[in-house]
Amino acid sequence: MALLTVAGLRIAFSHRGGSTEVVRGVEFAVEPGETVGLVGESGSGKSLACRSIIRLMPAHATMTASKVEFDGRDVLAMSAKELRDHRAHSVGMIFQDPYSCFDPTMRIGEQVAETLRVNAGLEGDAAKARALELLESVDIASPEQRFRAYPHELSGGMRQRVMIAIAISASPKLLIADEPTTALDVTTQAQILGLIEQRRRESGMAVLLVSHDFGVIAQACDRVVVMYGGYVVEAGPVAEVCARPQHPYTRGLLSSIPSLESAGRRVRRAGIPGQPPNPADLVAGCPFADRCAQVRPACRELHVALEGVGDGHVTACPYVRDGVPVTNAGGSR
Amino acid sequence: MSDLAHLVTVPWRRLRALGSWEITTGIVVVAVLMIASLLAPLIAPYPPNQIDVLHSLQPPSWHHWMGTDFVGRDVWSRVLYGLRIDMLVVAVITYLGLAIGVIVGTVAGYVGGWFDAIVGRVADTVIAFPFIVLVLAVIAIVGPGLKGVAIGIIIAGWALYARLARSEMLAMREQPFLMSTKALGYSHVRAIFRHALPNLVRTSLVYSTVDVVVNMLVLAGMSYLGLGQQAPGADLGSIIASGQGYLLSAWWITTIPGAVLVLFGLGVSLIGDGITRGDLPQGAL
Repeated sequence: MALLTVAGLRIAFSHRGGSTEVVRGVEFAVEPGETVGLVGESGSGKSLACRSIIRLMPAHATMTASKVEFDGRDVLAMSAKELRDHRAHSVGMIFQDPYSCFDPTMRIGEQVAETLRVNAGLEGDAAKARALELLESVDIASPEQRFRAYPHELSGGMRQRVMIAIAISASPKLLIADEPTTALDVTTQAQILGLIEQRRRESGMAVLLVSHDFGVIAQACDRVVVMYGGYVVEAGPVAEVCARPQHPYTRGLLSSIPSLESAGRRVRRAGIPGQPPNPADLVAGCPFADRCAQVRPACRELHVALEGVGDGHVTACPYVRDGVPVTNAGGSR
Repeated sequence: MSDLAHLVTVPWRRLRALGSWEITTGIVVVAVLMIASLLAPLIAPYPPNQIDVLHSLQPPSWHHWMGTDFVGRDVWSRVLYGLRIDMLVVAVITYLGLAIGVIVGTVAGYVGGWFDAIVGRVADTVIAFPFIVLVLAVIAIVGPGLKGVAIGIIIAGWALYARLARSEMLAMREQPFLMSTKALGYSHVRAIFRHALPNLVRTSLVYSTVDVVVNMLVLAGMSYLGLGQQAPGADLGSIIASGQGYLLSAWWITTIPGAVLVLFGLGVSLIGDGITRGDLPQGAL
């Protein structure tokens, strides 16, 4: 049974003169112990979609869903108290920006120990000892010194490590990593991803990795969910999706990743033309229609729905698997 | 000997390390006035209310540093005791008002909704009311005396802190670190008091340095009008008032306590300036 099942998820922002839907019927699932990547460009709704798992919506946003089930429990039906317990113990969350996610007036170690006291029931010295252990387990050198540091005294990579320590402190079953490496430089990125992977293997928790970088996803995940304009447009095992991308958007994403072979050669990356859609303008039909090289009149009326193409691989584009020539894909691959 | 020297030089070096001369001077002035008033029973040469009619209206001399008033009470001793009561009352009313205002404002900004609306309107009403008139009105109900002044100033003073804290909270509510307290399943109480409040109290503390001076002047003013400290008790306002009739013949009774009041205000303002400009090291506040 899946650890997490989300179905029919819709999220809308209300504002003067109505509301704008930014997530329009998303479904995905996470099995115990696996790493799932959620990929898409800014504004595709991927961050909001993963926050729905702990019902953590920004102001003015409301979510509805036909199903958000975690470990056999209905997240949508949770009372405030159950929800707090769910957030504290079942799901750990790492945010994108390690610079603003810490209380600037509290020492780092104190923030780790606080989580342990509040969520793991440890007290006094036990909490401190466990906090030091945790800091050490996320490869922070000389944890005793760092324990006494204020957030501004640590580097971005170091803060992201501390955030991981806090997120895994209650041994959650699922770790949500919302663009954990976006704010970091490339070398630190690899270390942080390695650290998350290592923690996952040791504890057996599942990881939901949100990123706009297909390279990161391909490297770290078992399965991938591709989002565009508030919809899931393709999902499946990473190797399968990379080898046989079905949706034109996924093809575009994959073909725009630079490869080592092309380094130094003057090859123009085949980007995706046009701009990401403004959620307010999307009415009906396929959200990618305006940028799609193989768009057909019927795409404007299309009811977006995922259909299987084998091996747990699903796509929202009904045309590619008919063997229609794809003009946009390829690039230098 | 060297130990004794350290007692003085180490705090002095720490003070110098704070950076600017403003904050250093401010801290020294306020500290000296505070220590002097705390030690009043030890260093005051006479009991504050000891009448000595034979030596009334004496100008400043070695026996009476600040002279004597119309019934021969030593002005220096009365200033020490007066400063003591004034500082105590001002500290209590300012920071009680600050505590009430910051807590109410922070909670209002955090929870929003009807509570926020009510707090906002009440605070606006209090602020729109002329400060002195409001204090006078409360004194009229509670009755003259320090208690009336204190209650009046707290009722009039919390509102600005509430407004300050509320607006800071509105901005802070969307900050990722408060979002993460939710993601970690912390309670609202913990999010507000352990994480939001320490981050927004700084603005209010800075403002309180202005407020301390204002409240000191209002307190002295009320005592001057006879609505605050009641005779024969000494406080700066009542001492100044008692010398008013002798301003031409015995200037010291009014002028010197007035100068002390100004000195105190100056010292506190200098500290406030220093804090505003960020002269304190990180973590000191």
